[in-house]
Amino acid sequence: MTSPAPKILLVDDEPSITENLSAFLSRAGYAVETASDGRKALETIEKNAPELVVLDVLMPEMDGRAVLRTLRSKGNHLPVILLTQVGEAGERAMALEEGADDYLNKPFDPRELLARVRAVLRRAQGSKVPLSSAWKITSAALVLDRRARRATLQGKVLALTPKALALLEYLMTHPDELITRERLLDAVWGWDYPAGTRAVDTRIAELRRALGDEAEEPQFIETVTGEGYRYRAPVEGEQ
Amino acid sequence: MRLRAALGFLPLLLGAAALLLLRRSFDPVPILQVRIDMGLLALFTGIALSAVWLSIYFARRANRMQRDFGIARERLKQAEAQRRFLRRLDHELKNPLTGIRAALANLESNPAVLPDIQHQVDRLTRLTAGLRKLADLEEIPLEYEKVDLGQLLQETVDAVKAHPSGNGRNLRLVVPSVPWPLPEITADRDLLSLAFFNLIENAMKYTAAEDTVEVRAIEQARHVQVEIADTGPGIPADELPRVFEELYRGSNARGREGSGLGLALVRRIVERHTGMVTVRSRRDGARGTVFAVTLPVTALVAK
Repeated sequence: MTSPAPKILLVDDEPSITENLSAFLSRAGYAVETASDGRKALETIEKNAPELVVLDVLMPEMDGRAVLRTLRSKGNHLPVILLTQVGEAGERAMALEEGADDYLNKPFDPRELLARVRAVLRRAQGSKVPLSSAWKITSAALVLDRRARRATLQGKVLALTPKALALLEYLMTHPDELITRERLLDAVWGWDYPAGTRAVDTRIAELRRALGDEAEEPQFIETVTGEGYRYRAPVEGEQ
Repeated sequence: MRLRAALGFLPLLLGAAALLLLRRSFDPVPILQVRIDMGLLALFTGIALSAVWLSIYFARRANRMQRDFGIARERLKQAEAQRRFLRRLDHELKNPLTGIRAALANLESNPAVLPDIQHQVDRLTRLTAGLRKLADLEEIPLEYEKVDLGQLLQETVDAVKAHPSGNGRNLRLVVPSVPWPLPEITADRDLLSLAFFNLIENAMKYTAAEDTVEVRAIEQARHVQVEIADTGPGIPADELPRVFEELYRGSNARGREGSGLGLALVRRIVERHTGMVTVRSRRDGARGTVFAVTLPVTALVAK
């Protein structure tokens, strides 16, 4: 490696989680520090300026959500992956609203965390205003207003089911990234089951119909055969 | 209760009948003059009012006692169900954990036990995922939309066929197309697909390779009924009422993997659509099991 290993801060109050995950991420080439509660996390962020934080939600002292809010209110756009339970009502909306760059449901596969870490770091290098804290995301003629929960194409409001809108939101905030159906299920639906991958396909078909996107020559959502989907149009976030 | 209320009109009817009878028999109707001193009149009035008040009081009290008794019984039932759930949960956690501990004890001398640990961890992961889903179902709002049930069932059947549990079984789907197709129903598509997947996969799991599983749908008044029928061994009669309980594992389930939450999820999903799921089963003769899901065509918006 030419550049020094990227610094990651891992925050969880369960030592067996931080110890084993930090060993795992270190082997993957990251310099990992750990903190056991929200207050210590903020101190470490202040002192060591990590490039990414993996933040558990339920913690003593100060929970992950409060840490994230504190960071964002100070204008700190440090990438954050929230370990939360998006299946719970409203939890996903909250994670997005508070500006998490991605989130994972516990219990997760450490390899999935690694994939998220890589993707978030790669995305963070490019953009100025991180998509995670953008309220309006524009992509060609498509505009997603996250506050109003509405998507427009050439100024016309798209009639989408809430699930399809949430899916579009996840895709647009993770552009140019191959996302498996399983990951979409976990991130947008909050649960996974064997026939669920078809539920994803059904919603993608709904989105494509609304967007007038052809599966063979897509402008927005591309099928990666046998693997998943990728949002391919360039996106820009606005605050 | 209604009969008793009707009885209240009996004196009135008798009075009216007597009036008609007297009018018909006598002309003029004889007059009965009662003279009573005011003291006694006051006493009798008092007695009548007291009787009315006391009867209302006792009726209410009996009513309240009955209700309290009903509530107490309901609480007891809930407490018992909770105890049962905790006992089952304890059991479901204990087995994989025992497996993991045993594998860990062997780990140093034999690293080949690692896949066993992974397997048990996967089991626990599935269990927590199921529990979470069940908890979610209590509060998440349903996302209603128009659903083509025939298409949804076809997709679900295909998904089960693609799943390893589908090996060999003769799995067929019967959806009416003439003289008119199934009506579209208003439902949460993803949740329904999960419910049908669980039912069909269950049927595959509890049958042998030469068995048949039939999924059939019919329209009934303002409802659609979907049956998942199999020629498997059947469920013992005493276990039938319990199969929808959380973590209940019947005698057929022994030695088969599963979270014990599949049917509980089905019931909750169907109930949230204001539908109903029932099961019937035979152990001999034309043996097998039929799960029947009835869903309203237009969902009542329920909790």
